[in-house]
Amino acid sequence: MAATQDMKGKGEGGDQNFDYMFKLLIIGNSSVGKTSFLFRYADDAFTSAFVSTVGIDFKVKTVYKNDKRIKLQIWDTAGQERYRTITTAYYRGAMGFILMYDITNEESFGAVQDWSTQIKTYSWDNAQVVLAGNKCDMDEERVVSVDSGRLLAEQLGFEFFETSAKDNINVKQTFERLVDLICDKMSESLDADPAVTTGAPTAKLTDSAPPLQQPGCNC
Amino acid sequence: MGLKFSQPPSSPFKAPGFLSSFRRASSRQPSFNPPLQSLHPSIFSTLRRPPAVKPGDFIPLFSDCVSAASSRTQEYLGFQDPEDKFHPSPETLTQVPSAPRTFQKHVSLNMADAFSCTAMTPEQRVLLGADWVWALLEKPTKTPKVQIAVQVLHLPRRKEAEPTEAPSSDSRSESVQMARLEGGHRSVQERLVDFCSSVGKDCYALFLFFGRKNDRENVYGVLSNNFEAAVGKCSKIDRTLIENFFKGSRYLHTCSFIVIVLIKCLKKSFTGDVMNNASAFNVK
Repeated sequence: MAATQDMKGKGEGGDQNFDYMFKLLIIGNSSVGKTSFLFRYADDAFTSAFVSTVGIDFKVKTVYKNDKRIKLQIWDTAGQERYRTITTAYYRGAMGFILMYDITNEESFGAVQDWSTQIKTYSWDNAQVVLAGNKCDMDEERVVSVDSGRLLAEQLGFEFFETSAKDNINVKQTFERLVDLICDKMSESLDADPAVTTGAPTAKLTDSAPPLQQPGCNC
Repeated sequence: MGLKFSQPPSSPFKAPGFLSSFRRASSRQPSFNPPLQSLHPSIFSTLRRPPAVKPGDFIPLFSDCVSAASSRTQEYLGFQDPEDKFHPSPETLTQVPSAPRTFQKHVSLNMADAFSCTAMTPEQRVLLGADWVWALLEKPTKTPKVQIAVQVLHLPRRKEAEPTEAPSSDSRSESVQMARLEGGHRSVQERLVDFCSSVGKDCYALFLFFGRKNDRENVYGVLSNNFEAAVGKCSKIDRTLIENFFKGSRYLHTCSFIVIVLIKCLKKSFTGDVMNNASAFNVK
């Protein structure tokens, strides 16, 4: 896997005590809830006030998997077209994407195919994608059925979750699944070509993989 | 008291660029009273003033807010505490014009749909080079029609407030360091220019100088949507280059003029090519 060297490093800025760093992007139409989704995951916070993201922003969160410390650099992109030049520049080197639509907004669902094309155009082939239908707490305003979301995800080859940043539904699970997919892909690549790493890893991230754990969590 | 505009006689961006510089003229001697006890009307008293305009007309509101914010900033810039205890941080000074309170008036008059002022996160300040972004929004999508991305430059003694400042918490500090790595070797001024040029000609960069070497109490500014022209001329976009636009100022304009120019940018009422825009600044 070509990006393994980039993933396993201790030379990045800030806290350098980590085993892997994954670059993730959240993309999708404006106002689908990308920023709220990230805030819920990183800070366990939610506000209903809408502030449109200017350009791009990111947060860092560290997770543990098989005693490996994985730093997630999660990029929150602006959904508006005027920022497309900026946001697509950050697709390069991304290992995972959360492609988000709003279950109460048909247009945002219709744009999923375009966002998928953007990923294929600006990212690399091995990037993993999870499709997230956000705002599932607003079922009374739903215009996109669960089945429609699931079907589209299957057609595009993506994993699928319905989520709610507001009610904290499937937020952590979405990120955990994306991390799992990336780890699986890494291991596949290592099996195919062990020489791609700078040093032999002490353990595959998928060896006897328990659920992704947070520090201090006994689950 | 007034904001003054000036057009440099020979600007590397004059053609085909859009650029102007302004300074906020000093209106008083340095005060030895704490700013909050100043005799000048505070920004808060200004905000309490009943609106004298139609609710749908945001131009006078924006004008009031910018004028009030710059007055307040100037008070802090000129303040000298005789006991040397009061030291407003540069970060605080940067936040004065972008503070939500400054623009809450718009919200109270249902102007939030038409106009926004977005303060950047510490990471965005590093990545994009902007401290805050003003935008005129299109209804009903709230898509920005025109934006002004603002970067505040402090005097060297306040330099730590520039976007390279590390926030206090560890996680924030870590992410800010990561953001710096993303920025590469570009200066914060270059990052702002890159951001604006990547958005398009309807995104203006405004560099605000909170004090200059020989005039520590004033607010100066340089506004353009064509700074990237300097890159084509192999010039490095940095503080020195931007300050060069203040040299040889011939044209002085009033406080209201700067607001009108900002509003024209926001409303995109400038027509024709960018050369027309530049010449607009020469008309007093």
